[in-house]
Amino acid sequence: MKKEITKYYPLIPVFAAYLVLFLIGKNISGMWQLVAMLLFYCAMGQAFNIFLGMTGYVDFGYVAFMGVGTYGMALAITNLAHIEGLGVGVIIIGFVMALLMSTLLSMAVGAVALRLRGAYFAIATIGVNEGFRFLIEGARIWNGSEGLIFTAQLNQILGRESASALMTFWADIMVLIIAALAAFVTLYYMRSKIGYALTALREDEDAAKVMGINVTKYKIIAFITSACFAGLVGATSWALKTPYVFPPEVFEIHYTIEAIIIVLLGGAGTLLGPVAGGLIYGISKYYLAIFMPGFQLLIFAPIIIIIIVLFPEGVVGMLKNRLKDSGLSRFII
Amino acid sequence: MVFEQLSGNLIQGLVLGAIYGMATMGLSLIFGVLKVVNVGHGAFIMVGAFVTLWLFNALGINPILAVPVAFVVGMGLGFIFYYTTMQRLIKAPELATLLATFSIGILLEELVKLIFGSEFRGYNWAVGKINLGVTVLPYSKLYACIGSVIIALLLYLWFNKTRAGSAVRSVVEDSEGARVCGVNVGGAYALSFSLGIGLTVTSGVLLTMFIPVGINPYMGGGYTLKAFVIAVLGGLSSPYGAFFGGLVFGLIENGSYTLFALIPGVEPFALTRFLSFVILLVILLIKPTGLLSTK
Repeated sequence: MKKEITKYYPLIPVFAAYLVLFLIGKNISGMWQLVAMLLFYCAMGQAFNIFLGMTGYVDFGYVAFMGVGTYGMALAITNLAHIEGLGVGVIIIGFVMALLMSTLLSMAVGAVALRLRGAYFAIATIGVNEGFRFLIEGARIWNGSEGLIFTAQLNQILGRESASALMTFWADIMVLIIAALAAFVTLYYMRSKIGYALTALREDEDAAKVMGINVTKYKIIAFITSACFAGLVGATSWALKTPYVFPPEVFEIHYTIEAIIIVLLGGAGTLLGPVAGGLIYGISKYYLAIFMPGFQLLIFAPIIIIIIVLFPEGVVGMLKNRLKDSGLSRFII
Repeated sequence: MVFEQLSGNLIQGLVLGAIYGMATMGLSLIFGVLKVVNVGHGAFIMVGAFVTLWLFNALGINPILAVPVAFVVGMGLGFIFYYTTMQRLIKAPELATLLATFSIGILLEELVKLIFGSEFRGYNWAVGKINLGVTVLPYSKLYACIGSVIIALLLYLWFNKTRAGSAVRSVVEDSEGARVCGVNVGGAYALSFSLGIGLTVTSGVLLTMFIPVGINPYMGGGYTLKAFVIAVLGGLSSPYGAFFGGLVFGLIENGSYTLFALIPGVEPFALTRFLSFVILLVILLIKPTGLLSTK
């Protein structure tokens, strides 16, 4: 029994970080906007880490899952708003839609792209992301490039006041819950057969195969899980916070890059890494935008190059190595 | 009427395709030798476009003369980025190289934005045009096409007839074996990377000769994606495969655009892009070694 509890110790620093974030946002006026942004980055990093960190496969089209998640919520709200009495049920249906759509897309992409490795996989996933975006625009699916705007429908469902409370506060709380859930699932995977299989596959896929590990199965499990969390982040952080969706925005490759940076900065494949990475990335981006507007990317790009070259294992990776034999090591993985 | 339009567009597509092909040879060369996908590819094309623009507008220098200048600039950038960054990442996982090349791309974009600003620019190089009956082809486009073919041939000769070219080919075949035989493998990596970047920056000159407008720091993203499709058509690691992949891509792009435009109620431009990514995925699945390979 005792062993069962110590298994979950590494969640303590993660949840503590989220609690501190929440308290700062709630109690210091004017901080909520920053906290909301940090929660978004942490949740995105944590969702992405489940696949990228654990398998070592670089999904360059990751944002597509956030995009379809956003569309899932948007479609539910635009199509069901006129039905009386559904109320908050519409939002719940929206989440189900987001999950369903990101699962379907990830299964389709997984069936095609997961046969490929390394650079070929990365290129294939970029192809899927861009292809999906241009299909929506080209064939005018879901209103094509004009996108969907559903502020009015959201107001109709919840009333003006609750809708604005949702956009400015409750959506962020949902992102927090999703991030915490993603952390829990990551740890659960790490401590189960799935995690060991994925570690073996990350180190040497052929050797893992020879040892009798069904690598395809575990890759797909990690891929779909990661995609589902991405869909949920899209449905809350994008659809509920800003009630509109435009294809060029929700399929923008820069979000994938941000997710990769966050995971790498914190330490790929670690539990605490995406949180550390999300906080460092989000805070520096926020304050650079205030103090040096227009120069953020110019400053970021060389810093990222330096980090890749000099500290490839990330902040948490380094911390883990340093604390290897101390008592703290069971909290940080 | 439709047939005439189609044949006219296909001729334009073939001319543009040759330039596309040349613009992808650098990407394939770098992947073939270093096994690194240069995700910042388009940013180097953008640098070439700005070199042309600046030489033409500020100094009045003919875009054809911008070709050697761009090549030297590209080689220089290639050496700088190789020795500061790529050299340390040769054995690193994909994650590191992809993010590093993307960051290099961002760095270039932001530097150019800092110097030239982010508005759309263009230049007007009037050298006349020829009428082919079904379409009108400005000489500037023709020169760009001929230039692409010449550069592709020069690369072929360099690879097959010079000592450095053989050294690079031996590294592609077996880098350990090459090292044992006394080939300077590190030098071959550095040379291939710089040559790849040099070719890419040069292609920026030729691309602006075809499309002399819309030059801005962020113009490269679309070219990066096109280059991926073209490189995959040609087998990803072969520069010549990439050149023929470019020709095929140019034909498909312009041909399908003409046909999609006939369907009412769709956006033909977006559907053309969609088709190119479908082709990308199909080839990666069926024949990842490329259309031309016999394997």
